[in-house]
Amino acid sequence: MHGPGTGRMAGRRVESTADEPGLVRYASSEPSAFAGMLGGLIEANVLANPGKRKDFDALAARVGIWVTDIEEGVTLVFDAGRLTVYDGLEPRRTITIRAEADTVMSLSNLKIGLFGLPVYYDEVGRGVALKLMKGKLRIDGMLTNVPTLNRVTRVFSVQ
Amino acid sequence: MAVKFASDDWAMQFKDEVNKSNVYKSAAKGWKWTVGLVVEAEPDKNFPESRGVVMDLFDGEARDITVGPAADAQRCDFVITAPYSRWKQVATRELDATKGMLQGKLKLKGDLPTIVRYTKASQEMTECTARVPVEWPDEG
Repeated sequence: MHGPGTGRMAGRRVESTADEPGLVRYASSEPSAFAGMLGGLIEANVLANPGKRKDFDALAARVGIWVTDIEEGVTLVFDAGRLTVYDGLEPRRTITIRAEADTVMSLSNLKIGLFGLPVYYDEVGRGVALKLMKGKLRIDGMLTNVPTLNRVTRVFSVQ
Repeated sequence: MAVKFASDDWAMQFKDEVNKSNVYKSAAKGWKWTVGLVVEAEPDKNFPESRGVVMDLFDGEARDITVGPAADAQRCDFVITAPYSRWKQVATRELDATKGMLQGKLKLKGDLPTIVRYTKASQEMTECTARVPVEWPDEG
């Protein structure tokens, strides 16, 4: 497994975290731009924020994200302090999120409020909730995995 | 009046559009980094040399936008790189910049959480580009 190549949009590479090698790994030697972006984003969040690091270390789940308007996706395999990013949807996913690119970006902008719960009453949160109600955001496995989904949201959110 | 793409006049109009945008002003509150756009050469499209657009953006305002060598843009805090024809697709709303970045059609270098936090500002920035009437070198 390798980090995303130089010049990929993520701009962050596994090699950049020399003090913690292998925090985020890529299943493909040439990960997609989307895989590089999500891996880079989560890595940066976790390294910068001890609260997110705690969630990351406790998270064991297989999370699929499919971007409907570019027809690309990834599977994030969290394994208690390690993340492997796969291009495409892998089997046995705990949660699968399907949405357009803009909505995926909104998910990463959800604020985290009291008790570590995502905030759905501000502008970004209301937008996400509305898309969920209209079926423009689908989260398979949501109802049976609410604590996991909240933890993934916290790790994923840049707020 | 239409201006030549990536010319000084284009940069001036682009800056004016950014500073006229209340959406940008509000969405970019707190932004304090320079952004470089590298427009890679495509000689077959009559765009023979790579150019760099350097944007000095601060707290919802475009303090300066200049066009020069690509190397200048590459020194910015955030750098977005794409060939000329991709930028044309973005500026004519044929390609959504967010999708383009997720697909790797536009390559971004810089701190990801920061740029993601300002997604709305960058989308409005794209809208501002699209509002500038442009003479494209591969047309007419």
